[in-house]
Amino acid sequence: MKEGFLIGGGLLVVGLLLQITLGPIDWSLLAWPVNLVLLVLVLAAVGILYALRRKVYAFEWMMHTGAAVPCLIFAATLTILMGLLPQVKGESVPWLSQMLRFWPFVLIWTWMMVISALAALNHLLRWKVREIPFILNHLGVVVAIVAATLGNADIQSLQLTAFTGEPEWRALDDAGMVHEPGLAIELHQFTLEEYDDGTPKRFASDITVYTEDGKNVRGTVEVNKPLKVNGWKIYQYGYDVRYGAESPYSVFQLVRDPWIPWVYIGIFMMIAGALCLMLFMAPKPMKS
Amino acid sequence: MSWDSFIWFALGAVLLWAAGAFFAWKEKKALVYLCTLTGIAVFFAFILGMWISLERPPLRTMGETRLWYSFFLPVAGIIVYSRWRYKWILSFSTMLSFVFICVNLFKPGIHSKSLMPALQSPWFAPHVIVYMFSYALLGAATVMAVYMLIRKDKTTEKEINLTDNLVYVGLAFLTFGMLFGALWAKEAWGSYWTWDPKETWAAATWLCYLVYLHLRKAKPAEWRTACVILLVSFVCLQICWWGINYLPSAQGLSIHTYNVK
Repeated sequence: MKEGFLIGGGLLVVGLLLQITLGPIDWSLLAWPVNLVLLVLVLAAVGILYALRRKVYAFEWMMHTGAAVPCLIFAATLTILMGLLPQVKGESVPWLSQMLRFWPFVLIWTWMMVISALAALNHLLRWKVREIPFILNHLGVVVAIVAATLGNADIQSLQLTAFTGEPEWRALDDAGMVHEPGLAIELHQFTLEEYDDGTPKRFASDITVYTEDGKNVRGTVEVNKPLKVNGWKIYQYGYDVRYGAESPYSVFQLVRDPWIPWVYIGIFMMIAGALCLMLFMAPKPMKS
Repeated sequence: MSWDSFIWFALGAVLLWAAGAFFAWKEKKALVYLCTLTGIAVFFAFILGMWISLERPPLRTMGETRLWYSFFLPVAGIIVYSRWRYKWILSFSTMLSFVFICVNLFKPGIHSKSLMPALQSPWFAPHVIVYMFSYALLGAATVMAVYMLIRKDKTTEKEINLTDNLVYVGLAFLTFGMLFGALWAKEAWGSYWTWDPKETWAAATWLCYLVYLHLRKAKPAEWRTACVILLVSFVCLQICWWGINYLPSAQGLSIHTYNVK
């Protein structure tokens, strides 16, 4: 396991050097098709590491639990650090206040994904039914996290404010830039219900969505119940708080995440893997 | 059902659990199951009553999650008893459950009917219940770790085996809780993971238990180090559950705050 701690330490040093020379990571650079290129490169690298495992001892070593322990310790420590230090937005802030843009953090997590992928591949290629739990857990986490990370820059998130009876097709991004998401929303009725004590019970908007390809979709959007139209998920986001139930408009959040199917595949593999973890992977109970 | 009647249900349940624990020492198996399971049923009747009268699952406030924790401890206890036959496990689970019941009696919190729209989801109950069950199991694993670290060389294979099992099942439920949360977040907030302070601590906790799991595989002889990792993991778990409410880094940032007025 010493090797693993050395590798982790090495990654920290390399990460710090990158941080000093390049500055914090700019995730928006990963937007399509850069993320696809990166994915192909990472997959190729994993394939090469695997192919050379008999020739290079270090590559063989990487796919075993001895390598996983130090890597997980580094990842846990940095994540705990992230939890202890306030994380802030903006530029020119201390490195550790933006852990997600901190090179050592990202390198350690990448290392974790690489050895998890290698271990999964190793078990996948010597296929047996009893390898399924291991594969689900290790491949599931890689699929979910890699898709989530590489896909992040491709997520579109817009805010659309629709006044009653006036179809609106323009929406704003976080920076306040106007976009046309290719659909219009007409608000028919905004509803706000309250409990007896005045706390909000339900926000809902009765809307029609008109799409560029000629669809008219009538539906109700409320918190926890988004509407899905042409790849966009439409969420109830806000209303005019000064008018409450009489709000003349409703604010929607429109989200499109092209990588989400892969994230879901990863998550469902992990759920199945966790089920296997307790049913098949836990050691047999010992009775004296 | 109102919170005022809690004391009667809790008293009944604790007495039944204590009787079950007593019969475990006396090796009267049938009576152990009868008493403990009846106690669990009595306690669950109260939870169900609260659920019906509040017209929502009682999972919103800290007090309500403690209620589930007190419920799951004896559940985990009887499962461990049925598989490992430890005489002491039910005494332990009863005592720990009693502590949480007392906290709820002295600090009941506010239990209004209102459930904000963000929490009105089919994911709400599974997300929290699965987490509470996991916390109960991992709490038991922590006690085992302390016990084994104190007894050092007297530790048996059977005790290590029990600890491993508690962590495997506890970690599985921890994973369910986290992933159900991610699936729910996508429906409620539009994104499945935002590194909200609660989520960051959930990830840290999850990674710590993964360290334990992999270390036990890689170096089975190093069970003492593994026990220490369990203690660290449990501290992370507590920070994730309630500690972040007091953590400067999470003040005003977490969207996971539902019991603050």
